[in-house]
Amino acid sequence: MSHSRMQFVAGKIVRNEGHGEIFYRLEAAVPEPVEYEPGQFAMVSGWPGNDPLLPRPLAIFRAGAAPKGKGTVEFVYKVVGRGTALLSGMHPGESLSLTLPLGRGFDLAKDGQLYWLVGGGVGFATVFPAAAALGRRRAEYEMFLGSRTREQLPPKEWTPGGSSPGRVHLCTEDGTAGYFGQVTDTIRERMAALSDADATRLTILACGPREMLKEIALAASVRGAEMQAALENHMACGFGVCWGCVVALREGEQIAYRRVCKEGPVFDAREVVW
Amino acid sequence: MKPDLSVSLGRLRLKNPVMSASGTFGYGLEFSPFYDISRLGAVVVKGLSLAPTPGNPPGRIVETASGMLNAIGLQNIGVERFIEEVAPRLSDAGATFAANIYGRTVEEYESVAVRLSELSSLAAIEVNASCPNVKEGGMAFGATPEGISHLTGRVRKATGKSLWVKLSPNVADIASVAAAAEGAGADAVSLINTIVGMAVDHRTRRPKLSNVTGGLSGPAIKPVALRMVWEVCRRVKIPVIGIGGIQTAADALEFLLVGASAVQVGTANFRNPRACVEILEGVETFLREERLAGISEYRGKLHL
Repeated sequence: MSHSRMQFVAGKIVRNEGHGEIFYRLEAAVPEPVEYEPGQFAMVSGWPGNDPLLPRPLAIFRAGAAPKGKGTVEFVYKVVGRGTALLSGMHPGESLSLTLPLGRGFDLAKDGQLYWLVGGGVGFATVFPAAAALGRRRAEYEMFLGSRTREQLPPKEWTPGGSSPGRVHLCTEDGTAGYFGQVTDTIRERMAALSDADATRLTILACGPREMLKEIALAASVRGAEMQAALENHMACGFGVCWGCVVALREGEQIAYRRVCKEGPVFDAREVVW
Repeated sequence: MKPDLSVSLGRLRLKNPVMSASGTFGYGLEFSPFYDISRLGAVVVKGLSLAPTPGNPPGRIVETASGMLNAIGLQNIGVERFIEEVAPRLSDAGATFAANIYGRTVEEYESVAVRLSELSSLAAIEVNASCPNVKEGGMAFGATPEGISHLTGRVRKATGKSLWVKLSPNVADIASVAAAAEGAGADAVSLINTIVGMAVDHRTRRPKLSNVTGGLSGPAIKPVALRMVWEVCRRVKIPVIGIGGIQTAADALEFLLVGASAVQVGTANFRNPRACVEILEGVETFLREERLAGISEYRGKLHL
């Protein structure tokens, strides 16, 4: 039995390896196959003791079935603080606690859309599963990946459908790979060149630094394109009970605080108070 | 033989001493995917106000050494939606539940208590006289024996339900505040709420919480909580509900040992959604291993 219903499970680390300058790829064996929507996440912990106290939210990078009815789940994460530093020091065979799958992922249901997927920094880990899902149903999509420098781009073999030409556009701020500049620059240029017809059937799926999301959201709204932004925040629980991870949303005339972990992490970018 | 886990909180009998702490358990149903919430002594839901409350702007939580600061600002759906939408589902789930209430004025506390009193399925009302993250109400009423006496007395007149008063640790003498609650008709006191704290970023030169200060919870506060529960148990005759940093069955047992009649588990629910039932199972295992017939053979038996 696979589950798309949220569960708290014990996992065992299968691999936890550094890639490039800053990314780690973690695979854990779990009791059952995990079904998830691209954009959903898990709360992950495993280090001993009470400090740091709270699990860390990590986007689900891949998940599936393993032999004997068991499951596997993978994450790609960047070391940003003590929690992820401790996680990066854990070894195969060690145990993890996982609550998953969590939140509301990308809405990929609409047919006939032109999709642009944008990953800034480690944000690629959130949009790759969406690319894989769109690729499986032969939807029309392009992907834009931005980073400071070449070493901070994801390894080519991780990219879903990486071999199709014209599909994946790399951007580096130092010009060491692909477009010389920020991913927001290339998005703005491409957006300006779109026909009105294509702009209205464009859906942007994006994850990355807040400034990047904000700039793309502005460019998208100018052309009347839809944008689904996967947000990040500090979280205590990840499943909607602590109310710590809220973001301000515009709801009609009102501003409401909605939980990134529950109503998100994917939000309609037009509603977010950037 | 299966030990007797049931405990009395005044006229209210609970099947066991393990409850969730308000503000860490949502409205209870959020935990149903993880276990049967009817197993808990009681579910204590997030603080309810008369009208829905939007809460504080983002920048609401910060992790600290073995703990966390929060300044949620009591975001909640309001008492009417709780009564209409949530309470029937808690009843359907077979849960024993208590409602934590909060008001900006004494009159608001009274009004919420009156509305909730109509709810036959409700086991108790817990008065939040100790939230550190709101400008009005909350801790302002809980800071002095006089304030708590006034608030408790007024809510006491407004409801026939079991009345618990949740106390703030941010006071000079918590035992005096507890005694004032007892004198004004509380059926039990629960303590401690969070300890006011602060976190700043030395590089950005800014506070980490939008509210600047927040409430500290988690294992970091357990020794303070244990001391305060012990002091209050020696001072009042009404039952005491121990709260503060409980992560394990051993932590819960320590609170029972110094005299608490029951405990509430809070921040532990965030890191482990099954924390409450795991603690409950651990308490039962301990009693069985120690060949104790029930909680009463252990509660308050600290050797001094």
